[in-house]
Amino acid sequence: MNDKAVSKVLVLDNSTAHARTIKEFCERNDLVPLKVRKESVAAVLRTNVDLGAILYSEAYGDTPAETVRIVKEIRALRPELPIIIRREKSSTLDDLAPELRSGCCRAYTAEDLDSLKAAIDQYIFSLIYPNALLRGISEIMDSVLSGQFPNQQVSFDTPYIVHDRIIFGEVLSVIQLESNWCRGYMMLQTEERAFLDLAGEAPGSDDATLFRRVNDRLSEVTNLAWGAFKNRYIGDSTTIASARVQVPLVVNHQHKYISFGTENPQLCFRYTLTDMLMGSTSTLYVRFVFNLNWSPEDFREIAPDADGLVSSGDLELF
Amino acid sequence: MAQILVVDDSSTVREEVSTFLRGGGLDVVTAVDGKDGLAKLKSDPAIKLVVADVNMPNMDGLTMVEKIRSELKNSTVNLIMLTTESSPSMKERGKAAGVKGWIVKPFKGPAVLETFRKLVA
Repeated sequence: MNDKAVSKVLVLDNSTAHARTIKEFCERNDLVPLKVRKESVAAVLRTNVDLGAILYSEAYGDTPAETVRIVKEIRALRPELPIIIRREKSSTLDDLAPELRSGCCRAYTAEDLDSLKAAIDQYIFSLIYPNALLRGISEIMDSVLSGQFPNQQVSFDTPYIVHDRIIFGEVLSVIQLESNWCRGYMMLQTEERAFLDLAGEAPGSDDATLFRRVNDRLSEVTNLAWGAFKNRYIGDSTTIASARVQVPLVVNHQHKYISFGTENPQLCFRYTLTDMLMGSTSTLYVRFVFNLNWSPEDFREIAPDADGLVSSGDLELF
Repeated sequence: MAQILVVDDSSTVREEVSTFLRGGGLDVVTAVDGKDGLAKLKSDPAIKLVVADVNMPNMDGLTMVEKIRSELKNSTVNLIMLTTESSPSMKERGKAAGVKGWIVKPFKGPAVLETFRKLVA
């Protein structure tokens, strides 16, 4: 796998003159550009759960009023997504219409891509994730999912940096991660029916049973992943007591939205489980939200003690 | 009268472990947390082996084994931890409480069945 995180950006910019410049910029800067038709923007924003930002254009609308209206619509639908606007002459927000100025976080021009780079560094890649961590999490999840779903094929995308807070599916689990180099949460999200189908749960079972089965199954996947993460990266280290700050988590069911109290981007892994016989698939999102502390300079992988090395599943007798 | 008590808050794990052990000819009873496990062990003197998770609500697995040793002083029950935890300090705490063995999840039945049989013999 590519062990450097990328981020998907929605490009709302119809300029053919600058399309190549933007595409090449994205390729150089670990961005995956997504383009949609103007009439589909709202639908995409309602459903796409792994965006890092929006690259907008001052000339996106057919009229200035439409350009403003679309920004307001984006802000209403996805207030957490940074909007970076391309302008023709100026890399500042100063002389924009007030609604655009308040809706966008930074401006750039095609001739001044340093401003765009500064914006993505500030708003998308503001947290540095060590490559060893990305690679390790991928290995952990692959091992856990392959073990829990032995008859399914497990595949995953390159890890993403995301800004959105949209909840995917109907079921999610959240567990704390506490160490001297990170404090936050691991969150798993999936769709109930597809997850149960792959877990081999009979569709005819009553809803109450299925409801509990999916909860328990996701809980065990979470527990195994958490344990492996802890054993590999946290060990016996303890968090400084004075740093035990907490912030409320807010879930809005109406909007399928979860907030961890920070605008920090999140690290996202997307897994697809495929039943090779039936062809059915289930998607699992694994997000890491280091909202309380992130000190990657202190990150370390715990070397296993060679003398006491016992494989998982084996009994170590004392 | 069960031979083995499986203590885990996850019904997936309880079902997986107990189904495997029953298939191997062992009698199994289950408990949902340390508190439940302690109560079931006290009420069933035939239990020879406890297989317990560490991280559980209400009472964690290590607290449970410490209570077994302190409240059931004459008990000769064997204690095995089945957990995602593998930190040396956790294992030391387990050893100090008389835990006989440690298994890092996931559970791989065939790797431990014979040992379990010996421990309940």
